[in-house]
Amino acid sequence: MSDRASAYTMWIVLLSALSFVCVLGMVWGELMNHHHVTAALIGVVLLAYSFILLLLRKGGFTGV
Amino acid sequence: MYKRALGRLLDATLRLDTVVGRVYPDDFNPLYYTGGLANLFLTILVLSGIFLFFYYVPSFNDAYASVQFLTVNVPYGQIIRGIHRYAADGFIIVILLHFFRNWFTERFRFSRDEPWISGMMLLAFAGFIGVTGYILVWDQRSEALVAMTGNAASHVPLVGGWLRDALFGGAGLTDLLLPRILFLHVGPAVALYVFLWWHYTRIRAPKVWPPAVWTLFALGFILLLTGLVPVTSQPAASALQPPTGFAVDWLFLSPYWALRVLPPLVLVALGVVLVAYGLYIPYQLPETRAELGIKDSGVAQVLDANCTGCELCYYDCPYNAIVMVPSPNPGVTKAAQARKLRAVVLESRCVECGICVGACPFEALELPGYLQVDIQKKVLSACQS
Repeated sequence: MSDRASAYTMWIVLLSALSFVCVLGMVWGELMNHHHVTAALIGVVLLAYSFILLLLRKGGFTGV
Repeated sequence: MYKRALGRLLDATLRLDTVVGRVYPDDFNPLYYTGGLANLFLTILVLSGIFLFFYYVPSFNDAYASVQFLTVNVPYGQIIRGIHRYAADGFIIVILLHFFRNWFTERFRFSRDEPWISGMMLLAFAGFIGVTGYILVWDQRSEALVAMTGNAASHVPLVGGWLRDALFGGAGLTDLLLPRILFLHVGPAVALYVFLWWHYTRIRAPKVWPPAVWTLFALGFILLLTGLVPVTSQPAASALQPPTGFAVDWLFLSPYWALRVLPPLVLVALGVVLVAYGLYIPYQLPETRAELGIKDSGVAQVLDANCTGCELCYYDCPYNAIVMVPSPNPGVTKAAQARKLRAVVLESRCVECGICVGACPFEALELPGYLQVDIQKKVLSACQS
Protein backbone atom coordinates (compact mmCIF):
# COMPACT_ATOMS: atom_id res chain seq x y z
CA MET A 1 0.00 0.00 0.00
CA SER A 2 1.42 3.42 -0.98
CA ASP A 3 1.97 6.23 1.55
CA ARG A 4 -0.88 8.13 -0.05
CA ALA A 5 -3.30 5.22 0.30
CA SER A 6 -2.13 4.71 3.92
CA ALA A 7 -2.93 8.34 4.75
CA TYR A 8 -6.40 8.01 3.24
CA THR A 9 -6.92 4.75 5.15
CA MET A 10 -6.05 6.49 8.40
CA TRP A 11 -8.60 9.24 7.74
CA ILE A 12 -11.24 6.68 6.74
CA VAL A 13 -10.67 4.80 10.02
CA LEU A 14 -10.89 8.06 11.99
CA LEU A 15 -14.14 9.07 10.28
CA SER A 16 -15.56 5.58 10.85
CA ALA A 17 -14.68 5.86 14.55
CA LEU A 18 -16.32 9.29 14.68
CA SER A 19 -19.45 7.82 13.04
CA PHE A 20 -19.54 5.05 15.64
CA VAL A 21 -19.33 7.58 18.48
CA CYS A 22 -22.12 9.61 16.84
CA VAL A 23 -24.31 6.51 16.59
CA LEU A 24 -23.85 5.99 20.35
CA GLY A 25 -24.77 9.66 20.80
CA MET A 26 -27.89 9.15 18.68
CA VAL A 27 -29.01 6.30 20.93
CA TRP A 28 -28.41 8.53 23.97
CA GLY A 29 -30.33 11.40 22.33
CA GLU A 30 -33.33 9.16 21.66
CA LEU A 31 -33.31 7.70 25.17
CA MET A 32 -33.17 11.20 26.70
CA ASN A 33 -35.73 12.64 24.23
CA HIS A 34 -33.16 15.12 22.88
CA HIS A 35 -34.30 14.77 19.28
CA HIS A 36 -32.21 17.74 18.18
CA VAL A 37 -29.07 16.00 19.33
CA THR A 38 -30.12 12.91 17.37
CA ALA A 39 -30.79 14.96 14.25
CA ALA A 40 -27.46 16.78 14.48
CA LEU A 41 -25.59 13.51 15.03
CA ILE A 42 -27.34 11.83 12.08
CA GLY A 43 -26.16 14.85 10.10
CA VAL A 44 -22.57 14.36 11.30
CA VAL A 45 -22.70 10.64 10.40
CA LEU A 46 -23.98 11.41 6.89
CA LEU A 47 -21.29 14.07 6.43
CA ALA A 48 -18.66 11.59 7.64
CA TYR A 49 -19.99 8.97 5.18
CA SER A 50 -19.77 11.48 2.33
CA PHE A 51 -16.11 12.15 3.16
CA ILE A 52 -15.45 8.42 3.56
CA LEU A 53 -16.82 7.86 0.04
CA LEU A 54 -14.58 10.63 -1.26
CA LEU A 55 -11.50 9.26 0.50
CA LEU A 56 -12.22 5.72 -0.70
CA ARG A 57 -12.24 7.10 -4.21
CA LYS A 58 -9.17 9.29 -3.82
CA GLY A 59 -7.26 6.45 -2.17
CA GLY A 60 -8.01 4.26 -5.18
CA PHE A 61 -10.08 1.74 -3.19
CA THR A 62 -13.18 2.30 -5.34
CA GLY A 63 -14.10 3.71 -8.75
CA VAL A 64 -11.92 4.59 -11.69
CA MET B 1 -18.32 45.01 -23.25
CA TYR B 2 -20.90 42.39 -22.21
CA LYS B 3 -19.10 39.81 -24.31
CA ARG B 4 -15.73 40.70 -22.75
CA ALA B 5 -17.22 40.49 -19.25
CA LEU B 6 -18.74 37.13 -20.14
CA GLY B 7 -15.33 35.93 -21.32
CA ARG B 8 -13.72 36.91 -18.01
CA LEU B 9 -16.50 35.25 -16.04
CA LEU B 10 -16.02 32.10 -18.11
CA ASP B 11 -12.31 32.12 -17.22
CA ALA B 12 -13.13 32.59 -13.54
CA THR B 13 -15.69 29.76 -13.66
CA LEU B 14 -13.22 27.39 -15.28
CA ARG B 15 -10.55 28.36 -12.75
CA LEU B 16 -12.99 27.59 -9.94
CA ASP B 17 -13.69 24.22 -11.58
CA THR B 18 -9.97 23.50 -11.55
CA VAL B 19 -9.59 24.47 -7.89
CA VAL B 20 -12.56 22.30 -6.81
CA GLY B 21 -11.27 19.55 -9.12
CA ARG B 22 -8.10 19.32 -7.00
CA VAL B 23 -10.22 18.09 -4.10
CA TYR B 24 -13.00 16.24 -5.89
CA PRO B 25 -12.62 13.89 -8.90
CA ASP B 26 -14.51 15.00 -12.02
CA ASP B 27 -17.53 12.79 -11.41
CA PHE B 28 -17.80 14.09 -7.83
CA ASN B 29 -17.28 17.78 -8.65
CA PRO B 30 -20.30 19.54 -7.08
CA LEU B 31 -20.19 22.32 -9.66
CA TYR B 32 -21.19 19.79 -12.32
CA TYR B 33 -24.20 18.69 -10.29
CA THR B 34 -25.90 21.92 -9.23
CA GLY B 35 -29.00 20.93 -11.24
CA GLY B 36 -29.04 17.45 -9.70
CA LEU B 37 -28.62 18.95 -6.23
CA ALA B 38 -31.60 21.25 -6.90
CA ASN B 39 -33.61 18.15 -7.76
CA LEU B 40 -32.48 16.48 -4.52
CA PHE B 41 -33.52 19.50 -2.44
CA LEU B 42 -36.85 19.67 -4.27
CA THR B 43 -37.52 16.02 -3.44
CA ILE B 44 -36.69 16.66 0.23
CA LEU B 45 -39.01 19.69 0.17
CA VAL B 46 -41.90 17.73 -1.33
CA LEU B 47 -41.57 14.80 1.10
CA SER B 48 -41.20 16.99 4.20
CA GLY B 49 -43.94 19.31 2.87
CA ILE B 50 -46.41 16.41 2.62
CA PHE B 51 -45.75 15.66 6.31
CA LEU B 52 -46.26 19.32 7.32
CA PHE B 53 -49.39 19.61 5.17
CA PHE B 54 -51.26 17.04 7.26
CA TYR B 55 -50.86 19.14 10.42
CA TYR B 56 -51.41 22.62 9.00
CA VAL B 57 -54.76 24.40 9.48
CA PRO B 58 -55.16 27.40 7.11
CA SER B 59 -57.23 29.77 9.23
CA PHE B 60 -56.35 32.92 11.20
CA ASN B 61 -57.27 31.36 14.52
CA ASP B 62 -55.59 27.99 14.06
CA ALA B 63 -52.66 28.43 11.67
CA TYR B 64 -50.10 29.58 14.24
CA ALA B 65 -51.36 27.09 16.84
CA SER B 66 -51.16 24.21 14.33
CA VAL B 67 -47.55 25.11 13.49
CA GLN B 68 -46.71 25.36 17.20
CA PHE B 69 -48.43 22.00 17.86
CA LEU B 70 -46.40 20.44 15.06
CA THR B 71 -43.19 21.97 16.39
CA VAL B 72 -43.65 21.18 20.08
CA ASN B 73 -45.97 18.18 20.37
CA VAL B 74 -45.57 16.07 17.25
CA PRO B 75 -42.64 13.62 17.56
CA TYR B 76 -39.85 14.84 15.25
CA GLY B 77 -42.19 17.62 14.05
CA GLN B 78 -39.63 20.35 14.61
CA ILE B 79 -36.96 18.24 12.89
CA ILE B 80 -39.14 17.81 9.79
CA ARG B 81 -40.01 21.51 9.85
CA GLY B 82 -36.30 22.34 10.05
CA ILE B 83 -35.52 19.98 7.18
CA HIS B 84 -38.21 21.71 5.08
CA ARG B 85 -36.86 25.15 5.98
CA TYR B 86 -33.16 24.45 5.35
CA ALA B 87 -33.84 22.39 2.22
CA ALA B 88 -35.63 25.46 0.82
CA ASP B 89 -32.49 27.54 1.43
CA GLY B 90 -30.36 24.84 -0.18
CA PHE B 91 -32.74 24.72 -3.15
CA ILE B 92 -32.40 28.44 -3.83
CA ILE B 93 -28.61 28.42 -3.34
CA VAL B 94 -27.99 25.60 -5.83
CA ILE B 95 -30.47 27.05 -8.33
CA LEU B 96 -28.58 30.35 -8.20
CA LEU B 97 -25.25 28.53 -8.60
CA HIS B 98 -26.72 26.59 -11.54
CA PHE B 99 -28.03 29.84 -13.05
CA PHE B 100 -24.73 31.73 -12.82
CA ARG B 101 -22.64 28.77 -13.94
CA ASN B 102 -24.76 28.21 -17.05
CA TRP B 103 -24.80 31.92 -17.75
CA PHE B 104 -21.04 32.33 -17.50
CA THR B 105 -20.35 29.18 -19.55
CA GLU B 106 -22.88 30.32 -22.18
CA ARG B 107 -25.03 27.23 -21.90
CA PHE B 108 -28.03 29.06 -23.24
CA ARG B 109 -27.25 29.02 -26.93
CA PHE B 110 -29.26 27.35 -29.70
CA SER B 111 -31.34 24.44 -28.41
CA ARG B 112 -30.55 25.38 -24.81
CA ASP B 113 -32.72 28.48 -24.85
CA GLU B 114 -35.72 26.48 -23.70
CA PRO B 115 -33.91 24.92 -20.71
CA TRP B 116 -32.74 28.43 -19.86
CA ILE B 117 -36.24 29.92 -19.98
CA SER B 118 -37.77 27.02 -18.03
CA GLY B 119 -34.91 27.42 -15.53
CA MET B 120 -35.77 31.10 -15.09
CA MET B 121 -39.37 30.10 -14.43
CA LEU B 122 -38.17 27.54 -11.88
CA LEU B 123 -36.11 30.21 -10.11
CA ALA B 124 -38.98 32.73 -10.07
CA PHE B 125 -41.49 30.14 -8.85
CA ALA B 126 -39.08 28.86 -6.18
CA GLY B 127 -38.69 32.40 -4.78
CA PHE B 128 -42.45 32.93 -4.78
CA ILE B 129 -43.11 29.58 -3.07
CA GLY B 130 -40.54 30.47 -0.40
CA VAL B 131 -42.30 33.74 0.44
CA THR B 132 -45.72 32.05 0.65
CA GLY B 133 -44.14 29.50 3.00
CA TYR B 134 -43.15 32.30 5.38
CA ILE B 135 -46.71 33.68 5.30
CA LEU B 136 -48.29 30.30 6.13
CA VAL B 137 -46.71 30.26 9.61
CA TRP B 138 -48.91 33.28 10.45
CA ASP B 139 -46.57 34.90 12.95
CA GLN B 140 -45.71 38.61 13.09
CA ARG B 141 -43.35 38.25 10.15
CA SER B 142 -46.17 36.74 8.07
CA GLU B 143 -48.44 39.66 8.93
CA ALA B 144 -45.75 42.15 7.91
CA LEU B 145 -45.09 40.26 4.65
CA VAL B 146 -48.80 40.33 3.76
CA ALA B 147 -49.02 44.08 4.48
CA MET B 148 -45.86 44.86 2.48
CA THR B 149 -46.78 42.59 -0.45
CA GLY B 150 -50.32 43.98 -0.59
CA ASN B 151 -48.98 47.52 -0.49
CA ALA B 152 -46.42 46.85 -3.24
CA ALA B 153 -49.01 45.04 -5.41
CA SER B 154 -51.55 47.85 -5.08
CA HIS B 155 -48.92 50.29 -6.46
CA VAL B 156 -48.79 48.44 -9.77
CA PRO B 157 -50.62 50.60 -12.34
CA LEU B 158 -53.92 49.31 -13.79
CA VAL B 159 -53.81 45.76 -12.39
CA GLY B 160 -52.58 46.52 -8.85
CA GLY B 161 -55.91 46.07 -7.07
CA TRP B 162 -56.72 42.94 -9.02
CA LEU B 163 -53.27 41.50 -8.27
CA ARG B 164 -53.66 42.11 -4.53
CA ASP B 165 -57.15 40.56 -4.54
CA ALA B 166 -55.92 37.56 -6.52
CA LEU B 167 -53.12 36.98 -4.03
CA PHE B 168 -54.93 37.64 -0.77
CA GLY B 169 -58.64 37.47 -1.58
CA GLY B 170 -59.23 41.20 -1.04
CA ALA B 171 -57.90 44.27 0.76
CA GLY B 172 -56.77 43.80 4.36
CA LEU B 173 -56.89 40.44 6.12
CA THR B 174 -59.72 38.31 4.78
CA ASP B 175 -60.71 34.75 5.67
CA LEU B 176 -59.65 33.77 2.17
CA LEU B 177 -56.03 34.74 2.77
CA LEU B 178 -54.47 31.65 4.33
CA PRO B 179 -56.35 29.03 2.22
CA ARG B 180 -55.31 31.03 -0.84
CA ILE B 181 -51.69 31.28 0.30
CA LEU B 182 -51.68 27.53 1.02
CA PHE B 183 -52.86 26.95 -2.53
CA LEU B 184 -50.23 29.40 -3.84
CA HIS B 185 -47.59 27.46 -1.89
CA VAL B 186 -48.59 23.96 -3.02
CA GLY B 187 -49.92 24.71 -6.54
CA PRO B 188 -46.74 26.34 -7.90
CA ALA B 189 -44.71 23.56 -6.21
CA VAL B 190 -46.56 21.11 -8.45
CA ALA B 191 -45.93 23.45 -11.40
CA LEU B 192 -42.19 23.15 -10.67
CA TYR B 193 -42.34 19.57 -11.95
CA VAL B 194 -43.98 20.74 -15.19
CA PHE B 195 -41.14 23.25 -15.64
CA LEU B 196 -38.62 20.52 -14.78
CA TRP B 197 -40.06 18.31 -17.52
CA TRP B 198 -39.74 21.22 -19.94
CA HIS B 199 -36.23 21.89 -18.59
CA TYR B 200 -35.05 18.36 -19.36
CA THR B 201 -36.84 17.81 -22.68
CA ARG B 202 -34.15 19.54 -24.73
CA ILE B 203 -31.11 18.41 -22.75
CA ARG B 204 -29.31 15.26 -23.76
CA ALA B 205 -28.56 12.96 -20.81
CA PRO B 206 -29.24 15.52 -18.06
CA LYS B 207 -27.64 14.86 -14.67
CA VAL B 208 -30.86 14.74 -12.68
CA TRP B 209 -29.34 13.46 -9.43
CA PRO B 210 -26.07 14.22 -7.62
CA PRO B 211 -23.54 11.47 -6.87
CA ALA B 212 -23.82 9.66 -3.51
CA VAL B 213 -21.06 11.85 -2.01
CA TRP B 214 -23.17 14.96 -2.45
CA THR B 215 -26.50 13.33 -1.64
CA LEU B 216 -25.05 12.30 1.73
CA PHE B 217 -23.38 15.68 2.22
CA ALA B 218 -26.58 17.65 1.49
CA LEU B 219 -28.74 15.45 3.72
CA GLY B 220 -26.12 15.53 6.47
CA PHE B 221 -25.69 19.28 6.33
CA ILE B 222 -29.46 19.88 6.50
CA LEU B 223 -29.84 17.55 9.49
CA LEU B 224 -26.85 19.10 11.25
CA LEU B 225 -28.33 22.60 10.81
CA THR B 226 -31.75 21.35 11.91
CA GLY B 227 -30.24 19.99 15.11
CA LEU B 228 -27.94 22.92 15.87
CA VAL B 229 -30.24 25.80 14.86
CA PRO B 230 -33.84 24.62 15.46
CA VAL B 231 -36.48 26.44 13.43
CA THR B 232 -38.88 28.54 15.50
CA SER B 233 -41.71 30.97 14.77
CA GLN B 234 -41.82 34.62 15.75
CA PRO B 235 -44.66 35.71 18.12
CA ALA B 236 -48.16 35.07 16.77
CA ALA B 237 -49.68 37.64 14.42
CA SER B 238 -52.07 39.98 16.16
CA ALA B 239 -54.33 42.69 14.73
CA LEU B 240 -53.96 44.63 17.99
CA GLN B 241 -50.16 44.60 17.90
CA PRO B 242 -48.93 45.25 14.35
CA PRO B 243 -45.34 44.08 13.77
CA THR B 244 -42.62 46.73 13.74
CA GLY B 245 -39.86 44.56 12.29
CA PHE B 246 -38.89 40.97 11.50
CA ALA B 247 -35.88 38.71 10.98
CA VAL B 248 -34.93 38.70 7.30
CA ASP B 249 -34.10 35.49 5.45
CA TRP B 250 -31.77 36.97 2.85
CA LEU B 251 -32.38 34.23 0.34
CA PHE B 252 -36.14 34.74 0.12
CA LEU B 253 -37.01 38.01 1.79
CA SER B 254 -34.31 40.45 0.63
CA PRO B 255 -36.81 42.30 -1.65
CA TYR B 256 -38.76 43.16 1.50
CA TRP B 257 -35.62 44.57 3.07
CA ALA B 258 -35.13 46.62 -0.14
CA LEU B 259 -38.52 48.26 0.53
CA ARG B 260 -36.75 50.23 3.25
CA VAL B 261 -34.83 52.14 0.61
CA LEU B 262 -36.92 51.76 -2.56
CA PRO B 263 -40.50 52.87 -3.21
CA PRO B 264 -42.81 49.84 -3.86
CA LEU B 265 -43.41 50.73 -7.51
CA VAL B 266 -39.66 50.96 -8.20
CA LEU B 267 -39.10 47.59 -6.54
CA VAL B 268 -41.87 45.94 -8.57
CA ALA B 269 -40.49 47.52 -11.76
CA LEU B 270 -36.98 46.33 -10.85
CA GLY B 271 -38.29 42.80 -10.34
CA VAL B 272 -40.06 42.82 -13.70
CA VAL B 273 -36.92 44.17 -15.44
CA LEU B 274 -34.70 41.52 -13.82
CA VAL B 275 -37.01 38.66 -14.84
CA ALA B 276 -37.43 40.09 -18.36
CA TYR B 277 -33.66 40.46 -18.71
CA GLY B 278 -33.16 36.91 -17.46
CA LEU B 279 -35.49 35.63 -20.17
CA TYR B 280 -33.67 37.74 -22.78
CA ILE B 281 -30.15 36.47 -21.94
CA PRO B 282 -30.18 33.61 -24.51
CA TYR B 283 -30.92 36.10 -27.28
CA GLN B 284 -28.59 38.89 -26.15
CA LEU B 285 -25.59 37.66 -28.13
CA PRO B 286 -26.80 37.68 -31.71
CA GLU B 287 -24.13 35.41 -33.21
CA THR B 288 -25.46 32.98 -35.74
CA ARG B 289 -24.06 29.50 -36.24
CA ALA B 290 -22.17 30.79 -39.31
CA GLU B 291 -20.53 33.60 -37.29
CA LEU B 292 -19.46 31.05 -34.70
CA GLY B 293 -17.98 28.84 -37.43
CA ILE B 294 -20.61 26.14 -36.95
CA LYS B 295 -22.04 24.74 -40.16
CA ASP B 296 -25.83 24.64 -40.14
CA SER B 297 -26.68 20.96 -40.38
CA GLY B 298 -30.41 21.45 -40.91
CA VAL B 299 -33.32 19.56 -39.38
CA ALA B 300 -33.06 15.76 -39.78
CA GLN B 301 -34.86 14.41 -42.84
CA VAL B 302 -36.46 10.96 -43.15
CA LEU B 303 -35.77 9.18 -46.44
CA ASP B 304 -39.18 7.60 -46.77
CA ALA B 305 -38.07 4.93 -49.22
CA ASN B 306 -35.58 3.46 -46.72
CA CYS B 307 -37.55 3.78 -43.46
CA THR B 308 -38.50 0.35 -42.06
CA GLY B 309 -40.44 1.67 -39.07
CA CYS B 310 -38.02 -0.10 -36.70
CA GLU B 311 -38.28 2.71 -34.09
CA LEU B 312 -34.53 2.77 -33.31
CA CYS B 313 -34.34 6.50 -34.07
CA TYR B 314 -37.49 7.08 -32.01
CA TYR B 315 -35.88 5.47 -28.95
CA ASP B 316 -32.48 7.08 -29.45
CA CYS B 317 -33.59 10.70 -29.96
CA PRO B 318 -32.99 12.42 -26.59
CA TYR B 319 -35.11 15.39 -27.60
CA ASN B 320 -38.32 13.46 -28.38
CA ALA B 321 -38.12 14.95 -31.84
CA ILE B 322 -39.11 11.76 -33.69
CA VAL B 323 -42.53 10.16 -33.59
CA MET B 324 -43.70 6.97 -35.26
CA VAL B 325 -46.90 7.17 -37.30
CA PRO B 326 -48.86 4.48 -39.20
CA SER B 327 -47.44 4.05 -42.68
CA PRO B 328 -50.03 4.31 -45.49
CA ASN B 329 -47.73 2.55 -47.95
CA PRO B 330 -44.69 0.24 -47.89
CA GLY B 331 -41.17 1.58 -48.38
CA VAL B 332 -39.08 1.01 -51.48
CA THR B 333 -36.17 -1.02 -50.16
CA LYS B 334 -36.58 -4.70 -49.36
CA ALA B 335 -36.27 -4.10 -45.62
CA ALA B 336 -38.93 -1.36 -45.76
CA GLN B 337 -41.49 -3.44 -47.69
CA ALA B 338 -43.30 -4.84 -44.65
CA ARG B 339 -43.29 -1.73 -42.52
CA LYS B 340 -46.36 -0.76 -40.54
CA LEU B 341 -44.92 2.50 -39.12
CA ARG B 342 -42.66 5.23 -40.40
CA ALA B 343 -40.62 7.91 -38.65
CA VAL B 344 -41.58 11.57 -38.73
CA VAL B 345 -39.27 14.35 -37.48
CA LEU B 346 -40.88 17.14 -35.44
CA GLU B 347 -38.96 20.15 -36.76
CA SER B 348 -39.65 22.31 -33.70
CA ARG B 349 -37.92 19.79 -31.44
CA CYS B 350 -35.02 18.71 -33.65
CA VAL B 351 -31.68 20.18 -32.54
CA GLU B 352 -29.84 18.86 -35.62
CA CYS B 353 -27.50 16.71 -33.52
CA GLY B 354 -27.40 13.73 -35.90
CA ILE B 355 -27.95 11.06 -33.24
CA CYS B 356 -30.83 9.60 -35.26
CA VAL B 357 -28.55 9.29 -38.30
CA GLY B 358 -26.21 7.15 -36.25
CA ALA B 359 -29.12 5.17 -34.80
CA CYS B 360 -30.57 4.19 -38.17
CA PRO B 361 -29.01 1.03 -39.73
CA PHE B 362 -31.07 1.48 -42.92
CA GLU B 363 -29.70 4.88 -44.00
CA ALA B 364 -33.18 6.35 -43.69
CA LEU B 365 -32.16 9.58 -41.95
CA GLU B 366 -29.95 12.42 -43.09
CA LEU B 367 -28.88 15.86 -41.96
CA PRO B 368 -29.10 18.01 -45.11
CA GLY B 369 -25.93 19.92 -44.19
CA TYR B 370 -23.99 16.74 -43.43
CA LEU B 371 -25.00 14.08 -45.93
CA GLN B 372 -23.79 10.63 -44.93
CA VAL B 373 -22.08 10.09 -48.26
CA ASP B 374 -20.06 13.32 -47.83
CA ILE B 375 -19.05 12.38 -44.28
CA GLN B 376 -18.00 8.88 -45.40
CA LYS B 377 -15.85 10.45 -48.13
CA LYS B 378 -14.20 12.76 -45.59
CA VAL B 379 -13.55 9.92 -43.15
CA LEU B 380 -12.10 7.74 -45.88
CA SER B 381 -9.84 10.49 -47.19
CA ALA B 382 -8.71 11.27 -43.63
CA CYS B 383 -7.95 7.57 -43.04
CA GLN B 384 -6.02 7.32 -46.32
CA SER B 385 -3.97 10.43 -45.62
